[in-house]
Amino acid sequence: MAVGRPTALMTTIGLLLSIFSGGALARVDAHGHGRPDRVLSAHMARALNATDTARLRYISSSGSLLFEEGTARGTLPGSMRAHCNLGATFSASFTIYTHGGTITGHGTATPHGSGIYESFAGTLVVSGGTGRYVHAHGHAGLYGTFNRRTYALTVQTTGSLSY
Amino acid sequence: MRRNRVVCRVLGLLAVVAVCVYPSGTAWALQSASLQATLTPERLGKGTTVGFGFRIAAPADQVPPPLTGVEVSYPVNLGFALSELGLATCSPGTLEAYGPDGCPANSLMGYGTALVEIPFGPLIVRETAQVTIVRTTQQSGHLALLIYADGETPVSAQIVFPGLVLPAPAPFGGRLNMAVPLVESLPGAPYVAVVQFHSTLGPHHLTYHERVDGRIRDYEPRGIPLPRSCPRGGFPFAATFSFLDGSNAVANTVVPCPPSGSRHGQPQRAPGQLPQLR
Repeated sequence: MAVGRPTALMTTIGLLLSIFSGGALARVDAHGHGRPDRVLSAHMARALNATDTARLRYISSSGSLLFEEGTARGTLPGSMRAHCNLGATFSASFTIYTHGGTITGHGTATPHGSGIYESFAGTLVVSGGTGRYVHAHGHAGLYGTFNRRTYALTVQTTGSLSY
Repeated sequence: MRRNRVVCRVLGLLAVVAVCVYPSGTAWALQSASLQATLTPERLGKGTTVGFGFRIAAPADQVPPPLTGVEVSYPVNLGFALSELGLATCSPGTLEAYGPDGCPANSLMGYGTALVEIPFGPLIVRETAQVTIVRTTQQSGHLALLIYADGETPVSAQIVFPGLVLPAPAPFGGRLNMAVPLVESLPGAPYVAVVQFHSTLGPHHLTYHERVDGRIRDYEPRGIPLPRSCPRGGFPFAATFSFLDGSNAVANTVVPCPPSGSRHGQPQRAPGQLPQLR
């Protein structure tokens, strides 16, 4: 588990923007693109490398669509919900409910192997959130297993998240 | 031990005719194709067995060109990955050497038949082969199947050919791609031509085994889950056929939505409870 710190560059840019906007608080995203023309609530971009493991259990299904819930442990612990489509390729959208807010995103994966446990690997994109993670974005690799008897999913992700 | 080879058992007049007479019954590029599909049972939100079949028709007294490839597209939101079909795998080598009996029971995914026509001079001989579909190891991230066709007489042949489940554009959820091998009837004679094929993919007639508390238990695998709602216009299927002469054919069909009285939505279940789709 590795929690990153605001980079020196982002901090510097944020400080400079604050000064040059007459002291108003400027939003600065993780890429350092300030928007001093819009006065918003204080926001300092943070970036972290996240590694998480989610264990999800079957709630309901319809055809190839699967709704699962469970817990995520690691850098961003919380409860998690995922709507999955296990077709010729796997895809899913997810929401992680953390203490600081929610994180939402979607991912795709290709199944591998065979047997009761179907393994898969792919990528995910974090596209937004609420609360502390309202500006969340990032990408990660994912891999895991799907139990074809119980529909239980175990998903491990590792990647970067900015918020 | 079975072998993947052709053993000619043609006797008497058939053999004489075959080697002496030009196969006038062969007519290529005039064929047409039709597709059939079934969902049994067709209960929305429940598991089903998918049946699919096709018929290649040539003008009267003629044999269509040998089939070299078939792609059957199936509707979006059919839960192949959520079925329990193919929990084990069987290798091509095992299937070729021992037939389906040599494969794990939990690798079986469906059964069917194929009707082939063999031009023997002016005669057209028909032969029915038994078809078994088994799961094999994934290929390049795609679910892979093996189709085993066993014909006995007049041409004894056991052939194995691959099937891959590939993505497909809407309104389809995927396509089963099958590369059909050329099968010789007699040396120098035309290849056999597949004119009918029908198979199932689903739990119908399948018995799987699992170990529970140290004992082996038989069970019927969970079928392919149908969605809880029927697509407008029904469940579409489509197929493309490739023939040895370079020609192609296309066929479509639709499985109509079930009567509203037979629609069963799937209730939500307590977390951790096993999915029940039968």
